[in-house]
Amino acid sequence: MSYKRFDAEDIVISAESVTAPVWTGDIVTLDTFYTSSTQIGGVSGDYYYNIYQTGSDLANARVQYAIGYADKKGSGSLLFNDAIPGKSPSSVLYGQYRNLVLGDEEANFTFGTQTSEYFYVISVDRARYREKLLPGSLDLVLNVSGSQASIRLTDNSNLVTTTTFSDSGRVFELISGSTGTVSSGAKNSDGFTNGSGSYGKFLPDIGVILINGAALDGNIEDGGLEFGVNRTSNPAEASNTRRFYDILNREPKFRLQSEETISSNFIFVRARNAEFNYSTNPSLITGSGELRHNVMINSPQSFITTVGLYNDNNDLLAVAKLSRPLLKDFTKEALVRIKLDY
Amino acid sequence: MGYLNNSIITVDAILTKKGRELLARGDGSFKITQFALSDDEIDYTLYNPVHPSGSALYGEALENMPLLEAFPDETQIMKYKLTTLPRGTSKLPVLDIGFASITLKQGASLAITPQTLNYQGATSTFEAGGYTAVIADSRVLNSYTGVGINTEEAEKLNSTTTLGTNVSKTVIGTSVNLTATTVNTLFGDRTRLQTTITVVGRDSGARITVPVTITKTN
Repeated sequence: MSYKRFDAEDIVISAESVTAPVWTGDIVTLDTFYTSSTQIGGVSGDYYYNIYQTGSDLANARVQYAIGYADKKGSGSLLFNDAIPGKSPSSVLYGQYRNLVLGDEEANFTFGTQTSEYFYVISVDRARYREKLLPGSLDLVLNVSGSQASIRLTDNSNLVTTTTFSDSGRVFELISGSTGTVSSGAKNSDGFTNGSGSYGKFLPDIGVILINGAALDGNIEDGGLEFGVNRTSNPAEASNTRRFYDILNREPKFRLQSEETISSNFIFVRARNAEFNYSTNPSLITGSGELRHNVMINSPQSFITTVGLYNDNNDLLAVAKLSRPLLKDFTKEALVRIKLDY
Repeated sequence: MGYLNNSIITVDAILTKKGRELLARGDGSFKITQFALSDDEIDYTLYNPVHPSGSALYGEALENMPLLEAFPDETQIMKYKLTTLPRGTSKLPVLDIGFASITLKQGASLAITPQTLNYQGATSTFEAGGYTAVIADSRVLNSYTGVGINTEEAEKLNSTTTLGTNVSKTVIGTSVNLTATTVNTLFGDRTRLQTTITVVGRDSGARITVPVTITKTN
């Protein structure tokens, strides 16, 4: 007999959460941002800019995240057709995220307690965050040159006692602070602005961060940046995405971690003392099948190197190799724990 | 292929090609229900029953050897399975297919009926679970079927056809029927084609590999 069936308790399924850096190279804090003139100059550049960790023409360049500007009225970006007001890349992005996050074309985005019709989007590349972003790991710096205003943003996941859900999963508010902690210099104890609500939303399950445009435009004394988002209808130049890139890149610091649930099968392979003490290995026997070493007739020994895991059809589904042979004889029992991730 | 760190005993587990295929199929066939152990890489001629330091060290050379990482090809691993036999067994199961090598002319047929020697107290027996037979290059045969085992798995394997590529084919049965190819182009300038057939007892795990030669007649 070469195959032994598992008992019910021999196979245990376990799911564990694994946290990791988001950015390429297992970097937790990204401090260099690059764009691609080719991408920006193309059609997609009207909607979003891809941000790389290094020069986009280098072989190891990978998209880390994308930024874009969304406006309910289509302001701040060029109209698709001058004769049709309100239809522009910014209104497309607004509708896209409204559909994704709110799931209701009549609903408005509310940041904290304030409704806002325009916001910036940071969409982290899926290959970077794998499954979801880790709440409480965000530390993003926005720095506006003219006013010398700078602010660090994080999410309020550590502050709330109940988690809010939207059509896109969990939702947390962006606040003044870092890595889940409210800044000591915040205008309010909840980390929100005065009068403009929160600084945005953190949507970990879809890898998206929304930055409240009204909060950026707010006065510095109220916690804003006096950024001055361009909300002109059909402006001469669609500069909002580029200007947002500028305030990200002036003091580049973007800390973020991912969270992934890995399902593992723990399989316990148990060989009892009387089992698996002989081998079909040709070097163990002579041509007629007799044991090569007489001493093994009453004291057989085998050396386990490999465990094969099979289905009912004897298909070999997985194999586990031991790092060194495990001696097995009638006086020993073997227990091998195998972890299979998929 | 790297070696595993053997300063501590660890386990390096991977899915095989077959496992990945069945997992992707998603029809429930990827369900681990049983296991087998093997001692691939172990050369028992290194076992030293006259070790001067005593019996505890007979297997010294084997216990500390480094092992290779697992191969994902399920046909290249778990070759030599460990078996459970009564203590005192002096002869281990071996397969006899009646041929040390097989030579067929183009279009000729042959039936192989393996027997297991020294198994479950019998000098010679046919295993109830049948035998798995793998032809390494399926192109050299016009037909290749297993008969005598009517499980769903065996019938599925028998009905599988692979054309035009140099891949193995596996069948299950108590007997295996094979017919040599009649296709001349396979030979090119050669007068014969060569491959191997590996037969494994599904109950005993005993295994035998013999060369197969197809000779050109036209």
